[in-house]
Amino acid sequence: MKKLLLVALALALICGSAYAAEPVKIGLMGPMTGSWASEGQEMKQVLDLLAAELNAKGGLLGQEVVVVSEDDGGDPRTAALAAQRLATQGIVGVIGTYGSSVTEATQNIYDEAKIIQIANGSTAIRLSEKGLQYFFRTCPRDDEQAKVGAQAIEKMGFKKVAIVHDNTTYAKGLADEAKGILDANKDIEIVFFEAIVPGERDYTAILTKMKGFEPDVVFFTGYYPEAGLILRQKQEMNWDVPFIGGDATNNPDLVKIAGQDAAAGFYFLSAPLPKDLPSEDAKQFLEAFSKKYGNPPSSIYAVLAGDGFRVLVHAIAESKSTDPDKVANFLHNDIKDFPGLTGKISFDDKGDRVGEVYRVYQVDDQGQFILMP
Amino acid sequence: MEQFFQQLTNGLAVGAIYALIALGYTMVYGVLKLINFAHGDLFTIGAYLGLTLLTSLALTEHIGPVWGVSVLAVMVMGLVALIGALLDRLAYRPLRESPRLSAVVSALGASIFFQNTVMLIYGARFQVYPQNILPKTAINIFGLYVPLIRILILLASIVMMGALYFFIQKTKVGTAIRAAAIDQGAARLMGIDVNRVILMVFLLGPAMGGVAGLMVGLYYGQINFTMGWVYGLKAFTAAILGGIGNIPGAMVGGILLGVIEAMGAAYLSIAWKDAIAFCVLILILIFRPTGLLGERVAEKV
Amino acid sequence: MQKKYNGKINPRNAVYTAVAVVLAMLPAFLNPYWVDVLNSIGIYAILALSLNIIVGHAGLFNLGHAAFYAIGAYTAAIINTRFGVPVLWLLPLCALTAGLFALIVARPIIHLRGDYLCIVTIGVGEIVRIALINNVFGMTGGANGIFGIDRPSVFGYTVRSPYQFFYLIWAFAGLTIFLFHLLEYSRFGRALNYLREDEVAAEGSGINTAHYKLACFVVGAAWAGMVGNIYAAKMTIISPESYSFWESVLMFTIVILGGSGSIPGVLLGAFLIIGLPEIFREFANARMLIFGAAMVVMMIFRTQGILPSRPRSYKLSKLRAGEGSP
Repeated sequence: MKKLLLVALALALICGSAYAAEPVKIGLMGPMTGSWASEGQEMKQVLDLLAAELNAKGGLLGQEVVVVSEDDGGDPRTAALAAQRLATQGIVGVIGTYGSSVTEATQNIYDEAKIIQIANGSTAIRLSEKGLQYFFRTCPRDDEQAKVGAQAIEKMGFKKVAIVHDNTTYAKGLADEAKGILDANKDIEIVFFEAIVPGERDYTAILTKMKGFEPDVVFFTGYYPEAGLILRQKQEMNWDVPFIGGDATNNPDLVKIAGQDAAAGFYFLSAPLPKDLPSEDAKQFLEAFSKKYGNPPSSIYAVLAGDGFRVLVHAIAESKSTDPDKVANFLHNDIKDFPGLTGKISFDDKGDRVGEVYRVYQVDDQGQFILMP
Repeated sequence: MEQFFQQLTNGLAVGAIYALIALGYTMVYGVLKLINFAHGDLFTIGAYLGLTLLTSLALTEHIGPVWGVSVLAVMVMGLVALIGALLDRLAYRPLRESPRLSAVVSALGASIFFQNTVMLIYGARFQVYPQNILPKTAINIFGLYVPLIRILILLASIVMMGALYFFIQKTKVGTAIRAAAIDQGAARLMGIDVNRVILMVFLLGPAMGGVAGLMVGLYYGQINFTMGWVYGLKAFTAAILGGIGNIPGAMVGGILLGVIEAMGAAYLSIAWKDAIAFCVLILILIFRPTGLLGERVAEKV
Repeated sequence: MQKKYNGKINPRNAVYTAVAVVLAMLPAFLNPYWVDVLNSIGIYAILALSLNIIVGHAGLFNLGHAAFYAIGAYTAAIINTRFGVPVLWLLPLCALTAGLFALIVARPIIHLRGDYLCIVTIGVGEIVRIALINNVFGMTGGANGIFGIDRPSVFGYTVRSPYQFFYLIWAFAGLTIFLFHLLEYSRFGRALNYLREDEVAAEGSGINTAHYKLACFVVGAAWAGMVGNIYAAKMTIISPESYSFWESVLMFTIVILGGSGSIPGVLLGAFLIIGLPEIFREFANARMLIFGAAMVVMMIFRTQGILPSRPRSYKLSKLRAGEGSP
């Protein structure tokens, strides 16, 4: 009953406001609770900010844009329910979500409901190999990142490589891809390949074990909380092996957790950070975000969600339609080098983002992330 | 061989923390036969309260690191103990006379409540303790590099466990706790105020858990609101391994679990280390059904 | 929904029939989201009913039920994706593998006392989950899980939308309720209850306690295995995080909070535990906080569970000689 009243109230408000017609609704599915809650909550902050800016400029197709967000809890079952719920709310498209297996549990639901889905953190290769016409993502795929990672290792001349993942879909996928590429190179030997258990505090056991194999470099494909701890504990052991991280280690909190001394010299792969983008949009976005929430966004995936939102809004505006087929068609074929916050965005037939996105970064003595040439 | 000893020290440091948390499980279980699933979250609260007090009072700047951390530890213990007592009063005491498993569900609900309270107050992002509060030097013991803090953690937990053991074994209140654990009814007839004993247990156990949270924060630096779930499950395993209800058992179980994990990771597989630890636990229970130091309880006839 | 109907109208049966009829009509008034919530409730209701045999009737403290659920789901997923066997045909096989697994693991540990059994079942659950993540035997797909599982088909009719799944799931739930109701009143059910109330006395009365405990573990596990099959068919993708310790906790909570040993209680528990977090969605980030508090409050006010099982009663006139004793 309360719901009905709310809906009636909302309708009354909308009818009374400047916008005569129904608002354009865009969904957000992210982990607002559970282990990855920080990611989801920041995704929501980014989208709220972008939607407010857009509405201040007059909205979309002359109408207001409303972000409808749902919690996927970071687990597939909750996500399937969140997707069903979003699918009943008349949204044109949905941004999200973070985890690959979570996204996968919702793909069919959105596809059957003809809702455009733009994932922001789901990098598993197979998500876009199913021929789903409404599925897109602003994050690159694992194989793309693995290629850049392997190239970096080859270029820096490391011979004995240790690869550590954390048995999540993302990290394992990246580690496997990188291993495949490096195995093909005769000069490089993979001396160590194992998984840590994420969510723990003490990784000295794995560091001690790994040290016994004397690698030249360690490629860690997991997430920043663990990477920070590992760097810190590595320094405590007086072991100075260089570390390269995947893009899930790209987070200012990494330096806080590890400490500046321990983080210094750490390499990681990432889409170019907003601060390294020449585009005015990115700068403005960062300023506006810091102003509204007190600190810059900490996760690149939240920014990628923002890019998903911007590209979707652009497609709706340009195709002058909220018809999913028209918008999807526009996203597939007519977007060329859209100026995203994280670089130029175009999509291929599978809905994957086109182009080399990844760069290699290094953490300097001050804890700053420096783009490697 | 160097690997072995290095891994042994790794395991001991992890195990000491497990043991401190396990004490809370085992004491509550001993008296109430209740598995307090919210205990892991009290540990989390200890870690967060420690961070708040550390940054807001800046004790270590005013009175030096040693005294600062000691005072901090006492404050955290006091506050978490209060929360523990409050938890018992609100969530467990109304369920004293009801089926045991009902209280377990209440404990699970309290755990969810605490975890999400911490998330709403402090946010979902990882929180980080300030660095360099404690010295980062490592000590060279026969060729092994052991960070000083690890040794301090091990010592501190041994001292605290020793104090608790002394308290339980030698003092009057401790004797009352032991008596209530063996037979509540008889203890009551002997003039022991069982409700006070239970209050005592809910002050002591959470205090130990809270200070363990502070130690994890100080040493590892990174804390988040779900950490209690992982540590809690490990500590519960440790308490069972040693024989739940038995205080030296919790200490032995905790240390042993840490060492088993480190050795499993070192010589078998890192990804499987938790499974290995559980396999060892199951094997031990098959041969010693009440844990390592648990007493064989006579079946009632 | 199948209903027990034995000629005369008992007020309780009338209530149940009315509930069943209302439930069967509900999808006509609900959007797909709420129907899917009901589907989720249905799946957990069946899981909790299967756990109820172990926890509620026999009084064995099992916090690792997700392991059996996982084994059923993975059996269905592996055979279906590799050999193309229609997924519902695999129901008996899923029951078999999950039951067999329960038999193997429970055999050596069944004599453990309450809380020790609890940690061992947690351990078994964790070992299964870790094995699935580590792609044991190269068959479980690691953290990715298994994807591309076929939708189930009933008489050549493919079950696809939440509405269709609603009837599949709740028909299975109805069957489960019916069978478990019979089980409850059978010699087996009475023996389990005896065992729960007083193990020593039960053994003294000639009940082979180890045998009965093992049997109830196997029955409960086999049923959870079949639910795993349906879950796999519904999601078309399964991955290890769906079978974490948390899932076992949910099932356990449903049983205790609803009313241990009581079928209507367990059903109500499933509605509360799975339904409330969905209703609390309006509280956004605070929804789980409110849920946790609600759990404590409900337990305090209904310490025996919301609809506890009532002691058995028999009409004297209906007893035939020799039937009253177990």
